[in-house]
Amino acid sequence: MNSLASALTARKAGLALCHDCRKLTPLNPKEPGTPACPLCGASLHFRKPGSLNRTWALVITALILSFPANILPIMVVNFIGKSDSSTIMEGIIYFFQDGSYGIGLVILTASILVPCFKIISMILILLSIHYHWQTWMRHKALLFRIVEFIGRWSMLDIFVIALLQVLVNFTNISSIYADAAAPYFAGVVLSTMFAAITFDPRLLWDA
Amino acid sequence: MWSNDFNQKTIGSKAAYGSEPTFNLDQVLACPACDLLIENKPVQPGEKLICPRCDEILLAPKSNSVNHSLALALTGLILFPYAVFMPIMTLDTMGIENSGTIFDGIISTWHTGYWLVAVILAMTSVAFPLIKLFLIFWISLNLKRKRIPGYLPQMMRIYVHSDEWGMLEVMMIGILVTIIKMHHTAHIHYDTGFFCFTALMLTALGSSLALDKTEFWRQIEHGRIQG
Repeated sequence: MNSLASALTARKAGLALCHDCRKLTPLNPKEPGTPACPLCGASLHFRKPGSLNRTWALVITALILSFPANILPIMVVNFIGKSDSSTIMEGIIYFFQDGSYGIGLVILTASILVPCFKIISMILILLSIHYHWQTWMRHKALLFRIVEFIGRWSMLDIFVIALLQVLVNFTNISSIYADAAAPYFAGVVLSTMFAAITFDPRLLWDA
Repeated sequence: MWSNDFNQKTIGSKAAYGSEPTFNLDQVLACPACDLLIENKPVQPGEKLICPRCDEILLAPKSNSVNHSLALALTGLILFPYAVFMPIMTLDTMGIENSGTIFDGIISTWHTGYWLVAVILAMTSVAFPLIKLFLIFWISLNLKRKRIPGYLPQMMRIYVHSDEWGMLEVMMIGILVTIIKMHHTAHIHYDTGFFCFTALMLTALGSSLALDKTEFWRQIEHGRIQG
């Protein structure tokens, strides 16, 4: 097992890896300006510029948005003149009371567990860089890969509500609409996805 | 898979900022997740090259990548309008029927006033999947014809960036959740759109999986040097 200091990285060798086409190009860090990748034209950096600041900003945004996303109702159900709005959690509890454990678990995972997991994991990874924690390196790398992979799946609830809104639309009998929490929830998903994009996992290993 | 002496050897050689590297750039590979330099060894389709330090998959070549992604993307493009504009299913409650398409879902969300949600829906379930399919189709068609127009690297870059924003698989699970949610309260008839959407999701997923980015970039670079 190589120790962190002895491992030869592309940056130590004076090589910049293109973010888009993964071509290696020799780069002199003393030269001003950002050179373009000779193959694809993307701007070359040793690390993503401003990665930590941008990722922190997006993670904090996600954290703030998750409050209205969970407190406000996400869906309104009208049934014979009676209208009933429910938050994400109330919707999940309804499934469990109804005996639909499978579907309740799917929504619980996608809407509550995944966003929580993403925010907590990103904060852990960012703190680990900030305080130079050099243990559990492979696990932190794996954690970030999981965050990247599951990012899109939290959009599930939004898709379900959009479909219900169209399909359950029997004018006077029953109808379903998206409610106030929907844009905040979409905001949480978007900002965590962007946080994973702006984060440069190589910073973990630079410490 | 990974030789320790390679890393030692290259550390021993002079590798300072700004100086010309002493090794051949074609023989090294950098891990995008931890920046480790690794010896670039030929990997057969079905095999994987994994970063020894952080376990990131560096190379996972696919066999016949250009042909497979071209065929799947073309199929996806043909299915696309049917999947988006044909009714997915019909709900029947007490004799009243109601059906809807993916496109209706976006329009009705727009009309509720949550335009941000409607835009995200339109981007992730219609715009990005279509852009991705078109880019895969056009890039692999050009690679198959051994033609590398000047804009091809740019197109490939757009593809790389749009990859995770197409969410047909998530929408598919959304359709299944909707079915399970409604099957107590209403009779569900599956319409053309449902089958077209399922087929579209599978072909779009297949074309993304068949596309070997490393191989595509290699062919683009190779073609540009020759042309």
